[in-house]
Amino acid sequence: MKGRLLSLAVYGLSTLLGVMAFVYPFFLPTVQRKATMGQAHAQDAPLLLTLLVGLCFVAMLLEVQAQAGGAKLVALLGILVSINSILRFVEVAIPGPGGFSPIFFLIVLTGYVYGGGFGFLMGSMTLLVSGLITGSVGPWLPYQMFTAGWIGLMAPACRPLVTLMRGRGRWLEVAVLAVFGGVWGLVYGAILNIWFWPFAVGPASQQWQPGMGVIDAISRYLVFYGVTSLGWDMVRLVSNVVLILAFGLPTLRALRRFQRRFAFSYQPDVQVAL
Amino acid sequence: MTHRLAWVSWVGATLVVLSTTRNPLYLGLALACIAIVATRVSSESWAGPAPISPLRFGLVVIPLSALFNALTVHVGRTVLFRLPTWLPLLGGAITLEALVYGVLNGVALTGIFAAFTVLNQALPVRSLVRLVPRAFHQVAVVISIAVTYVPTTLRQFHQIREAQAIRGHRTRGLRDWIPLFVPLLVGGLERALQLAEAMIARGFASSGETGHDTLTRFVIAQGLLALLIGWLLRLVWNQRVLGLALMLAGFGLVLAALWVIGQRVPHTDYRPEPWTGRDWAVVLGAAIAIAPFLLPLPGLDRETIFFYPYPALTAPGFNPIVGLAILGLTVPALLSREPSVVSNHTKKLEKLSSDPL
Repeated sequence: MKGRLLSLAVYGLSTLLGVMAFVYPFFLPTVQRKATMGQAHAQDAPLLLTLLVGLCFVAMLLEVQAQAGGAKLVALLGILVSINSILRFVEVAIPGPGGFSPIFFLIVLTGYVYGGGFGFLMGSMTLLVSGLITGSVGPWLPYQMFTAGWIGLMAPACRPLVTLMRGRGRWLEVAVLAVFGGVWGLVYGAILNIWFWPFAVGPASQQWQPGMGVIDAISRYLVFYGVTSLGWDMVRLVSNVVLILAFGLPTLRALRRFQRRFAFSYQPDVQVAL
Repeated sequence: MTHRLAWVSWVGATLVVLSTTRNPLYLGLALACIAIVATRVSSESWAGPAPISPLRFGLVVIPLSALFNALTVHVGRTVLFRLPTWLPLLGGAITLEALVYGVLNGVALTGIFAAFTVLNQALPVRSLVRLVPRAFHQVAVVISIAVTYVPTTLRQFHQIREAQAIRGHRTRGLRDWIPLFVPLLVGGLERALQLAEAMIARGFASSGETGHDTLTRFVIAQGLLALLIGWLLRLVWNQRVLGLALMLAGFGLVLAALWVIGQRVPHTDYRPEPWTGRDWAVVLGAAIAIAPFLLPLPGLDRETIFFYPYPALTAPGFNPIVGLAILGLTVPALLSREPSVVSNHTKKLEKLSSDPL
């Protein structure tokens, strides 16, 4: 009971802090105006936010890890992550169509079949490992890991809808997942952009305009998003939908078959031990 | 081989320098230092070239950021031209100051990107994995398995493709990838099953101890709470000092819990990386570089660090002492070529074989 409460507290607090870190840049102009004007304000926001997001991620990861001990899970995760990281190679090797990225469909499907905790680990570990082997570790990594983890964490939310429509094992199920993956393709891009958004917001003196508030900051962000990455993210949306539609059914079938096969448990022989 | 933590301190120092100042002279100097280290590192690295070169990144990001800032910020005295005001957000005066600030932002971002490219090239994957804190023992195992199985999985993919090609399979459309992907997935799951059985047979995680008990959980929750309250104090009630203290305390609590959990995980270090004088030199250089940016040193005029183009563009000042300090970032490039690992190893072997046992 106490353990459950504590773990709920950790989940809640780190999610709250994470959301605050993501939303904070929109309030930056307002906050900076409140702060002392005279001396120029050092631009520490991006680094601090990256640190904070990293810390929340660490707290959350510790909780998930504590509940997900065991060799079966570790082995399964390791292998699936390595398959998915190879798909990321495809993304880096073929720098063709914008934000095309084949890694999300497996994150969505494994999260959906094996549960939110597994999906969280799958998403964040995929981004970490593929970042390590393709040489793209950077201040954007905590954001990537956090957001991709969220995708996997949220994937089981599709289950009630599928049960309601009695679509399990049919095209309907895949269609629901495709919509989910498509929407997250866009949201992922929007969240990721925030890591360098504080750079674009600039110092307080740049915002020294009457009536410049949160709404303006958000509308600026939307323009910024439209200019910089809407095109990319549209490609990601389309690629997620297409990949889930094309590979969804056979992949789900394989994952479910192995879910049953992995349901063995090992009980040590006490007699021998004594 | 420079130690991984020395490299991390170098990257941290470049991040601090690049994100604290907007003085183009200091930014340029820092960028030059990174470039020097990058050429040195890439000449020694066995890793391939970076997926996106920092030069290309800069060529895209700097104009974009300049354009965006100039179009959406209408502050500054030197007006270049005016857009009609009925345009939402874009309408108004387009100023030189906003344009310059946008360029400087782009330069800082490019510098950060370049610094991380250096880190990726300087450290092999093995060292990067070791940066995972020890408390994440299980996660680190997952990462190691994933990294280890990447070549196997690639080989398996080629085998599947060959086998399908022999059967007359061709990849024309997206659907033709299913006979390639599904065997890869099923084969991988099959291998995961074997691996899990092997790990259980060797007693992996059989003790059930993760080192993460109620107390550490409680401490972490407290730390997060302190962070949240501290941040709110700073933001909403403008209690800057108290808020900062609480936030630091929160950070400290979470890190302490991490350290304690890490200490409980028994581990053996098979190949310890030595910490040598070279590493001290790198850390010292990094510390010198960030000192004027973070500390109000007596007798040092820090006015030039806080250069801003607003409200009217002026020529940026240059303080030679700050400039000299930034040069501390070049230390990794100045160190002598390191003795090759192979010769070191053979020397050890020779010594071993000559030792009378």
